[in-house]
Amino acid sequence: MNDMRLIDRKTTMNEIKIAAEGVDVFYGESHALKDVSVDIEERTVTAFIGPSGCGKSTFLRCLNRMNDTIPTARVTGRITLDGEDIYAPSVDPVQLRAKVGMVFQKPNPFPKSIYDNVAYGPRIHGLSRNKAELDEIVENSLRRAALWDEAKDRLAEPGTGLSGGQQQRLCIARAVATAPEVLLMDEPCSALDPIATAQVEELIDELRQNFSVVIVTHSMQQAARVSQKTAFFHLGHLVEYDDTDTIFQNPRDTRTESYITGRIG
Amino acid sequence: MNNAHIASAFDRDLERVQAMLMKMGGLVETAILDGAKSLEARDLELADSVRKGDRAIDALEEQVNAEATRVIALRAPTARDLRTVMTVIKISANLERCGDYAKNMAKRTTVLAETPPVGSASVSIRKMAREVQLMLKDALDAYVQRDAALAADVIQRDEDVDQLYNALFRELLTFMMEDPRNITPCMHLHFIAKNIERMGDHVTNMAEQVVYLVTGALPDESRQKQDVTAYVSEE
Repeated sequence: MNDMRLIDRKTTMNEIKIAAEGVDVFYGESHALKDVSVDIEERTVTAFIGPSGCGKSTFLRCLNRMNDTIPTARVTGRITLDGEDIYAPSVDPVQLRAKVGMVFQKPNPFPKSIYDNVAYGPRIHGLSRNKAELDEIVENSLRRAALWDEAKDRLAEPGTGLSGGQQQRLCIARAVATAPEVLLMDEPCSALDPIATAQVEELIDELRQNFSVVIVTHSMQQAARVSQKTAFFHLGHLVEYDDTDTIFQNPRDTRTESYITGRIG
Repeated sequence: MNNAHIASAFDRDLERVQAMLMKMGGLVETAILDGAKSLEARDLELADSVRKGDRAIDALEEQVNAEATRVIALRAPTARDLRTVMTVIKISANLERCGDYAKNMAKRTTVLAETPPVGSASVSIRKMAREVQLMLKDALDAYVQRDAALAADVIQRDEDVDQLYNALFRELLTFMMEDPRNITPCMHLHFIAKNIERMGDHVTNMAEQVVYLVTGALPDESRQKQDVTAYVSEE
């Protein structure tokens, strides 16, 4: 007879989607991220947690070269997506960001209509052949971001006219519209009410079937709920990276334990 | 690691629920000792106070559970805080059951006081009860001091209780075979002995929970089971 123990609970090792080796980030003189090496798995939600200023957002921004836009930022080390160095001269950052999408903490819709906000990515990347296909992409993206019911009758209105929570879901719809392979989310729910938060978490779980999601969050409970892997950052170091269950029930490093139990800020 | 939470009310909540648990443990220790003492001394008044005292233990268990539930709802504990809350809930359930067994011992004492004594069985029972009470004391100390080694020692000592029970089981069988008039008191004495043996198992559960609390993993089941009475037949 088969062993009926809780083998299913064990996290199976997926393929590596993004591999970072010895990554250091400097903003001018300040050394923001120190020798971080981590493997982000495919079809997995990875949570980055840690106090403000610990480097988690900095590291997240390295994964789709958002730090390129900051003149003083310098990134060393190696980051690969599917084995390809994303900092290689041949890589076009715009193409990279179509594959590695991002949702920010503050909603930042384009000053365009709701429809055009979502349609923008598919248009510039040529993901649809006609209006009907584009309509479908827009509808699907808005549905996945749990915004369709509220937005379907006002698609021509400006995205900036939506409420803060709706704007954030619009940004999520915009990010998923290009069908990215990796979605980076920097505190995507900090401006959302509990219902919208639950909808976004549901979306994250759905995205995991096909993609990798990396989420930076200040909510311990959110990290515990949505992720399979958790990385704890502190003072620019990656302190501990393990299965989420382990991090929240029996972490190895005392700094991790102090942080998640609310003993250091 | 800094031991205080940034939210000091969280520490106060945890301290309060742990204080209740310790109070409960003290009441159960007393109930075990007094139950066995009332049996040996045929002290009906003491037996009666043990029976009545169980209410306080039950009430404390409810309070501990309510408080632990509140902590989970309000604080969403993680890591060792989570293990502490889980351990408190499990230990309180095991303590409550030990209290029930002590109460049952007191009940049977009132019946046994009406019958002539059978050998030195009540002395052996008091010895067993003393052993279990000491295990319980150490299990609770191990909890307070977060001492996994002491908890592991308690787990080992359950063997001694099992052996005392085995010996008593055979002794009672012999008495019953000697004279059928011994059957009623021997049946009661046997239930008491079996209940104390079960208390030992509950204390072992508590000690295992302490190991989990400290190390994050339950201990391996390495101890040999010493209760062999399930295989005893008339020789």
